[in-house]
Amino acid sequence: MRKITALFAMLAFAAAPAFAQDAGWETQGLTDDSITIGVMGPFSGNASSYSKAMVGMMAYYQKINDEGGVHGRKLVAVQEDTACDSAKGLAAAKKLISQDQVFMLQGNSCSGVAVALRPVVEESGIPWIVAQAVSDSISAPLARNIFHGVPTGSANGRAMASFVLSKPDTKNVAIIEHSNDWAHSYSDPAKEYLKEQGITPSLELTMERGQTDATAQVLQLREAKPDFIIAALYEAETAIFLKDLKKYGLGEIPVMGTAGTDLENTLKRTGDFDTVKNYFVIHSYVDNLDGPKMEKWADMIKKYYPDEELSTFSFVSIGSAEALVSALEKIGPDLTRSKLIAALEEVRDFDTGILSDPITWTPEDHQGVKGSAVAGFVDEKPTVLKAWGQPY
Amino acid sequence: MKMPTARQRRLRTILFWAVPAILLLVPLGTNAYTQFIVNGMLISTLVTLGFTIVIGNLGQLAFANTAFFGIGAYGSAILAAKLGVPWLLTIPIAGVFGAAGGFLASAAALRGIRSYYLAIITLAFGELMRWSYLHAKPLTGGTDGLPMPRETLFGTSLTDDTVKFYVFLVVTVLLVKATANLLASRFGRAVMAVRENEVATASLAIPTSRVILVTFIWSGFVVGCAGALFARHIGHVFPESFGMLHLIASFAMVLVGGLGSVLGAVLGAVMLTALPEYLRAFPGMEELFFGLIVAAVLVALPMGLASLLRRLSPIFVERFYREAR
Repeated sequence: MRKITALFAMLAFAAAPAFAQDAGWETQGLTDDSITIGVMGPFSGNASSYSKAMVGMMAYYQKINDEGGVHGRKLVAVQEDTACDSAKGLAAAKKLISQDQVFMLQGNSCSGVAVALRPVVEESGIPWIVAQAVSDSISAPLARNIFHGVPTGSANGRAMASFVLSKPDTKNVAIIEHSNDWAHSYSDPAKEYLKEQGITPSLELTMERGQTDATAQVLQLREAKPDFIIAALYEAETAIFLKDLKKYGLGEIPVMGTAGTDLENTLKRTGDFDTVKNYFVIHSYVDNLDGPKMEKWADMIKKYYPDEELSTFSFVSIGSAEALVSALEKIGPDLTRSKLIAALEEVRDFDTGILSDPITWTPEDHQGVKGSAVAGFVDEKPTVLKAWGQPY
Repeated sequence: MKMPTARQRRLRTILFWAVPAILLLVPLGTNAYTQFIVNGMLISTLVTLGFTIVIGNLGQLAFANTAFFGIGAYGSAILAAKLGVPWLLTIPIAGVFGAAGGFLASAAALRGIRSYYLAIITLAFGELMRWSYLHAKPLTGGTDGLPMPRETLFGTSLTDDTVKFYVFLVVTVLLVKATANLLASRFGRAVMAVRENEVATASLAIPTSRVILVTFIWSGFVVGCAGALFARHIGHVFPESFGMLHLIASFAMVLVGGLGSVLGAVLGAVMLTALPEYLRAFPGMEELFFGLIVAAVLVALPMGLASLLRRLSPIFVERFYREAR
């Protein structure tokens, strides 16, 4: 008996460091007065303009810190560059996780990088809130520690189709898109939604990137006479398409564009209001960027980043940062990674006041934002809409 | 350039095997991040090595290196993800795919196309391959890329950077040694002769076409194997990993290390893989500092870092090596 007891004692002694490590892992990156958060983004390289997407979130952290932090803990961001490159992004993630030992991760533009990071972050078990990248495969299939805090590609695609069908008597829908995955990420879920509603697109057209004329496509559309057109095109091609629509007398047909185009930028490109008067785009916010509901967020960013030139991207990560702070507050001072994951899974219909749709994370579904508003010109003014003719 | 004595050559052989033996201990002092960077250095070494033997040793301005790399990476990923071939087995097969790419790329050179024209044709080959990765969606996953399946090796997950390190090290050491031996052989002398004067070489009854063909194929094999390692290193293969930026980075590694030098390929790869990681401390300024450092090295050492070591001791002088003019 004594030998068995001694054996168990030895085993317990040998296993003690492992248990100690587990306990340490839960609170890694935490001190009495700080929570370190790894923030990854493309701060260099071709896609560095997307790093603007980090600004809103960082400004929100600073606002919370100025208000005393969360249960006395300041949110300390540790920034790492991914350069929108999967190898560099993986290095950044591994550095944050194993060297900087941050408590959690938030951020990441560039879906390709985020998809490549997923296995590493999933294996590490540390909470990660994806605050910008939209690819569905970052957060599906479900990974217990990965949460999506912006509308995913499929949510946006479905929102596009839903808006199209909200126009009374819409039966005939045509689709024009680029032949790339970016376009398919919008058009496939849109088609799926239309199919669920018993509608098959009357025409599916392709317009290649860099194409400078859409006459062939427009002539086919003239034959099909659609009630609505879904256009998954980049901004430059959208402008060409809209100009050709007007040129061939189809300017009255409404066109639904993606989140990849901006309403006013498209107007600048066409230089003719008549071409965009019936153009609508996915818009994830509750108001226009210069609207009254966005003012406090714009002021917040300006306060902490006075040189920042505001764009659509500047605001995208604020909503998920709010949801994070709310979850941290609910947990109380006794914070662990497991408690944070559990608290995030209890977020229900969280109104961020900036994203057009609330955030809901459940143990079964971590894609938190299920829809998006739409922006279009109403009385010649950019207006955020819930559905056809219904201002947000 | 002073040539090494017989004793120094023996010492060089000992040194060659001592370095990887010491490297076996690296995982004892690394974390997941630093190990990942070290693994990246091994891959870059092979990529740079494959590149330098074509543009440095053979003297052909061919830029198909990134194409070979992509072919190897996608070859490995497709075999592993679609056909369930164990990743370890895909490494030599990816090398063969890369070699086939090398064979195709050599066609232009064999047709007598040289200099800038060869550069443009091989660049176009690289872009054509990238276009194929984007559009052959059922096979390559298109813009979404192709994830590598999760696998274990001797009971340990291949997501573990230490396990990957040992495989990468073995492959790298074998290919570096094989390339060094090839360049030190009669064939290597023929390669250098083609670079110096192709017509004069042909007049000596050396089959220059065969020399060009085999060099391209070997380059493709080495870089194709590197592609297979890269596929496992990242765990997900994307088309954008094989674009112009990668080519420029590899070219910089070749020049910084020393054009046409095996030792230079290793030094250039190690330095330019590590440097961006050190520059992480200067967010927003990384590209500026990186450019300045690379420019400074090239101004101070136009023949690359390897030339510095050659000046220190003849041990580092490679057989048949001639500085590119």
